[in-house]
Amino acid sequence: MNLIAQTLADGLVLGGIYALAAVGFSLIFGVLHVINLSHGILVLLGAYLALIFSQALGIDPLLTLPLVMAVLFAVGYVYQRFLIQHAVDRSPLGSMLLTFGVALMLQNIMIWVFSPDMKNITPSWAFTSFHLGAVNFDAVRVSALFASLVLLCCLALLLKFSALGRVIRATAQQTMAARLCGVNVRHVYALTFAVSAAFAGAAGIVIGIILPFSPSDEATWTLNAFVVVVLGGVGSPAGALLGGLLLGMVSTLTAQYIGPSFPNVTMFLLLVLLLLVRPTGLLGNAFSASR
Amino acid sequence: MRRRDVLLRGMGAAVLAAPAIRSARAQAGKTLVFGGSVPLTGAAAETGLNVNNGYITAASYLNDVLGGVEIAGEKYKIELKLFDDASDPARATTLIQRQLDDGTDFFLGSFGSNIVLPTAAITERAKKPMVQTGGGSDAIFTKGFKYVFGMYPRATRQFASAAALFKTLQPTPQTYSVIWTNDAFSKTAGEGVKLSCDAAGFKRLDSFELPAKPTDVSSVLGSVRANTPDLLVCVMHDQDSLLVARQMIASGTNVKLLFQGLGPQLASFREALGKYSEALLCSTYWDETVPYKDKFFGDSKKFMEYYKSKFTRPVAYHTAGAAACIETYILAMQAAKSIKAEAVRDALAVADYETFYSRIKFTPDGDGDPIIMGSMIGQVMKGKLEIVFPGEAHSADPIYPAPPWDKKA
Repeated sequence: MNLIAQTLADGLVLGGIYALAAVGFSLIFGVLHVINLSHGILVLLGAYLALIFSQALGIDPLLTLPLVMAVLFAVGYVYQRFLIQHAVDRSPLGSMLLTFGVALMLQNIMIWVFSPDMKNITPSWAFTSFHLGAVNFDAVRVSALFASLVLLCCLALLLKFSALGRVIRATAQQTMAARLCGVNVRHVYALTFAVSAAFAGAAGIVIGIILPFSPSDEATWTLNAFVVVVLGGVGSPAGALLGGLLLGMVSTLTAQYIGPSFPNVTMFLLLVLLLLVRPTGLLGNAFSASR
Repeated sequence: MRRRDVLLRGMGAAVLAAPAIRSARAQAGKTLVFGGSVPLTGAAAETGLNVNNGYITAASYLNDVLGGVEIAGEKYKIELKLFDDASDPARATTLIQRQLDDGTDFFLGSFGSNIVLPTAAITERAKKPMVQTGGGSDAIFTKGFKYVFGMYPRATRQFASAAALFKTLQPTPQTYSVIWTNDAFSKTAGEGVKLSCDAAGFKRLDSFELPAKPTDVSSVLGSVRANTPDLLVCVMHDQDSLLVARQMIASGTNVKLLFQGLGPQLASFREALGKYSEALLCSTYWDETVPYKDKFFGDSKKFMEYYKSKFTRPVAYHTAGAAACIETYILAMQAAKSIKAEAVRDALAVADYETFYSRIKFTPDGDGDPIIMGSMIGQVMKGKLEIVFPGEAHSADPIYPAPPWDKKA
């Protein structure tokens, strides 16, 4: 019984982190219809920036969150407005190839700037843990889950209630109608990409706290985001959360009860099954990219 | 002057200067070309950079300090033609094939068994030697290759010295569990752990295989806590070792001794764990305190002095191993009095040289002799790696049992 509870708790924590890491990818896919293959690079950029800021300012890495998100917001806006938009204007495939190329270039620039060595962010409370009954919780992972949930809620509120959120949803649902209503669609696309990049950066901080990282990890986070989005559905924080939690649970339950080398097998099996049975994801939504 | 004119004049000057550059190189004497690839980007770049630095250190010392090497009465300069394979076996094989087509006779190895194995198959087919310090998987040395030589024993033989150390500990440990990741090296190394520990009489409680790139090991650690061994052995790459150690600390998973094949050798790994790195055990194949004498550098300390004059990056045993690859080639060429690939291969097969890295002697299959070139065992003490085995190299006595995580000062 304890083992099941511990496994589910571990899955929940892991799932929350997967969800945060995927939400930006999901939003870009849902609104811009772009499969952003440089998503993992934005995640890693967040981790590296958190490391730099926390060391330079002597503050806890989680406190660098606003700063990192602000930098990534600006980077995301410029990246979309001046690079991706040109490819989007031509073809969706072009934008995917462009982001792939950018990912390759940025990975090598990261190696040049930060070295290929593994890095890790170690806050003062990195190695503490606590118990709830018989279940052991790693403080770092729990704080990562908490940060993920808070940020996902903030994004959901932003999309639901703010003016920006309404414009983003309107553009995602009917781009032409939004344009006719006077929405500057290119600006909205850039803002959406900026918000997504900021959340990718936030995910990078959380991931950097719990895992060692190096520039070569970018593909892992792009791939995980892709799986989460397909499982949960495109374009919404709720879909990303559901997909992330599902992926986390499946990973830990498989590792515990089938074998530690099998989580990837079950993860991709689930992906194939869902694509066959429900291609819009569990929370298939009204965003145009999923239709 | 217009920009176009400047460009044209510059190109003209370059064309005129080219023969002069070629003749300057010719006057400097003959060159020995060593080809190969190294992972300077991608997943294996961290250690790839260490290997690359080792090759550069040896080549530059032999050229710049010693003025070249003498083989059969002729003076040669070393030329390295190493390319970034981006940790990608497919790219590495293309690069090696292209170098073979260009006439390269001698090859240095990349890092990672998944790259060394396919590239070694190509050089083997072309009957060109490869001396490498990056691949230990059994598959490299059990396919009947005659031209591939490695600076370590094959993976399944690498754990013999650690098992021998475990037998000397008091009170003698009784049980062990082993964790490895699903990659070419770690998988066979895990098999080696089981072979050596079973043969030494330790009882195996569990063995776990993780995915090649794990992001969470909590379920495995749950099993370890439920069925706790005296010794926990982890054979995986540095990044994964750090993940395991961090989650062990946070989840309070204690064993009497934690052995991590790769990780604690690196200063960055020890810094990341801080006081918790105390008493972690690992394999190491070289340390600057080893007592070997060397024909070129003199000894390990002089190698280190020269390395530090060229690089600020902390040295790793892979760096020393890579430099020793080039030294071994030169010693074999001097012994063969030839730079013909076949003759050099025959000399390598019977090599028995002392270098600053180790005594070099290969098995008939090409891997390092398990006794002569076997690993030393290091243990972290006050943030520094001390050699605790074998006795002749040891700088401190092993700490056993290690204090639990929450008691590490």
